Amino acid sequence: MLESKITILCVDDEEIPLMLRRMVLEKAGYDVVTARSAAEALVIVASRHVDLVLSDYLMPSLSGTELSRQIKVNRPSLPVILFSGVNEVPADAAYADLFLSKVVGPVDLCEKIAMVLGNLPLSK
Amino acid sequence: MVANDQVNILMVDDQPAKLLSYEVILGELGENLLKASSGTEALEQLLKSDVAVVLMDVSMPDLDGFQLADMIREHPRFQKTAIIFISAVHLSDLDRIKGYQRGAVDYISVPVVPEVLRAKVSVFAELHRKTRQLEKLNRDLELRVAQRTQELRASESQFRTLANTIPQLAWIAGPDGSAVWYNKRWYEYTATSWDEVRIDGAKPFIHPDHAERVLAGVERSWAAGEPWEDTFPLRRHDGKYRWFLSRAIPIHDANGAIARWFGTNTDITEQKLAQEKVVESERRFRTMADTAPVMIWIAGLDQRITYFNKPWIEFTGRSLDQNAADIWISGVHPEDIDRCRKVFASAFAERVSFSLEYRLRRFDGEYRWIVDNGVPLIGPDQAFSGYIGGSIDITERKQAEAALIRSEKLAAMGRLAGIIAHEINNPLEAIANAFFLLRRHPSLDRDARRYADLAEGELARVAHITRQTLSFYRESQEPVSVSIFEVLDNVLDLQSRRIKANGIALDKRFRSSAAIQGFPNELKQVFLNLIGNAIEAMKDGGRLRIQVDERTEEKSGRRGVKILICDTGSGIDPKFAKRIFEPFFTTKETKGTGLGLWISRGIIQKYDGSIRFRSMRLASGHATCFAIFIPGLPAPQNAGFNASLVGA
Repeated sequence: MLESKITILCVDDEEIPLMLRRMVLEKAGYDVVTARSAAEALVIVASRHVDLVLSDYLMPSLSGTELSRQIKVNRPSLPVILFSGVNEVPADAAYADLFLSKVVGPVDLCEKIAMVLGNLPLSK
Repeated sequence: MVANDQVNILMVDDQPAKLLSYEVILGELGENLLKASSGTEALEQLLKSDVAVVLMDVSMPDLDGFQLADMIREHPRFQKTAIIFISAVHLSDLDRIKGYQRGAVDYISVPVVPEVLRAKVSVFAELHRKTRQLEKLNRDLELRVAQRTQELRASESQFRTLANTIPQLAWIAGPDGSAVWYNKRWYEYTATSWDEVRIDGAKPFIHPDHAERVLAGVERSWAAGEPWEDTFPLRRHDGKYRWFLSRAIPIHDANGAIARWFGTNTDITEQKLAQEKVVESERRFRTMADTAPVMIWIAGLDQRITYFNKPWIEFTGRSLDQNAADIWISGVHPEDIDRCRKVFASAFAERVSFSLEYRLRRFDGEYRWIVDNGVPLIGPDQAFSGYIGGSIDITERKQAEAALIRSEKLAAMGRLAGIIAHEINNPLEAIANAFFLLRRHPSLDRDARRYADLAEGELARVAHITRQTLSFYRESQEPVSVSIFEVLDNVLDLQSRRIKANGIALDKRFRSSAAIQGFPNELKQVFLNLIGNAIEAMKDGGRLRIQVDERTEEKSGRRGVKILICDTGSGIDPKFAKRIFEPFFTTKETKGTGLGLWISRGIIQKYDGSIRFRSMRLASGHATCFAIFIPGLPAPQNAGFNASLVGA
């Protein structure tokens, strides 16, 4: 399953959490590219192959939801997961395929990514 | 005998000696004696003075006694003058008769007996005196009559002048009630003349609606001879009616019989209009006061309430006649009475407006919060006459304010929780990832891996707390079908050790297998909180009843599931009742977070459901029951009842 490496674009404005997340995902067998802003992420999505986008929700200038909206305009089939520390699921989270809390932990995160990639049912 | 009472006696004789002898005889009488020596002289005397008796000799030269008597009688003034003849010559009966025929009163023959002469003269003198007195009396009387007549004339003229100048319409009627006189104002008002009103009087001018009553009243009064009074409209010359107050009084004569009726009609149109205006304004005030959404009262100078409007009476269920002295204060909550009395009395003393908030007993016995605004009543003459006030039930407003304050507090807590969650969750994820990597690092020896394991475990607890308390986040975006009793069984499984340890009897009454659309972990959290609290409250054992029913909510008609979680534990102190759903409120002192019920309610509200509780603290034991309603059953479910689960 991991022979043909899947590429995940990881977006977050905070450097250290982004780095650690990349390392966890690499351990799980994914290829990871990172972006420090939504604008950078859009450039990457336009310039190279990406299988999934895992983006922070609250970022300066362009938010995660806005990023997913713009991605879906050109690449409706590219899965986007919003990853956040906020309480409430924001109203515009629907642009993404999944809204996920940051406190789920690395194991759950990988599980959910697998679900989204495998088009598995999202609940349970 | 008084001098002016003397009468004149005229003695006529041609012989001076005889005159002298008569003078001597009559001197004793004390009258005024006049003498004449001839008939001519006698006539002169008669004309000069008022003579009572003429004493004359029949035989005299040139004019004898009879001739003189004839002449005297011819004069009207002397027709009644007494004449006494004295005769020495003619002693026959014929002469005597002749003398009487001439009107003589008496006849004396000679020789004259002095006593007889004196007696006869004396009688006539006396007679004359009496006559003279009578005449005088008569004259006096006539004079007095004339004076009285004059006076009466003047008095009547005064009366008429007066009667014509008064502003009233005045009239006089005879004893039978027929009109005899009207004053000028009457004629001016009706523009009529005496000839037009002498027959029917005022009748045609009385307003037809009143005529029958008025006339009947007048008739009664005339028949009884008693004063009469009535109020009715009288037609003016221009056809307009004005209101009059009419009165009539009988005037009695000296014998007590009714001589006249004297009547007046006073125009009271202005007073009546003013009175109607007062009545109308009073009526308007009452209508306004009774329909106002405010309870209105009026207090007099003695601080006693004299008026309550309908809303006040309906609110309190009492009326003014019920113990009016303390009708207001007796309805005030005992804790507020002193304050109310003080404010009311000091406002009265200073005559200033006041505003007072207190609890007033409603008709159903419930005390409601009232705001009462009183304003001093100052009349147009600046006279202070008491207070008028309006009271409004502000219980709901007060509750809403309290709820608003609480919900604002909650919202602030929510925002704060959101910020804290965000700020904790971000580094938490990074740390969790770091430990995840660390724990799997190949260079780690056994001890180091154990430390990492411990750290990761503790980190999981932190994550759990933030997920449980600071976040309402949903794991999945799509709700799934959740079986309520599966979730409940799951929670009871988790708590089974504590239930046993506390010696709690479990009573499950799952009467519905209904599944609702939702998020199992959220609902699990709610039940875990409530069941956990129930177990906590029953440290010395008790009974935990959990019941699930399908229910249609009365208010909205929504169908849903109702879950009851009841314990026989320590109960909830009523003073905490309003606060138990507040964040950070806990009765568990240091053990609880004070967030369990707050979070539970937040979750249930997301389902548009409700969470309520009831706690009873009785001598026989306490009971606390939480009821949760979650709507979302589309239609009544036939297969909802699962017999095998009842009383499990």
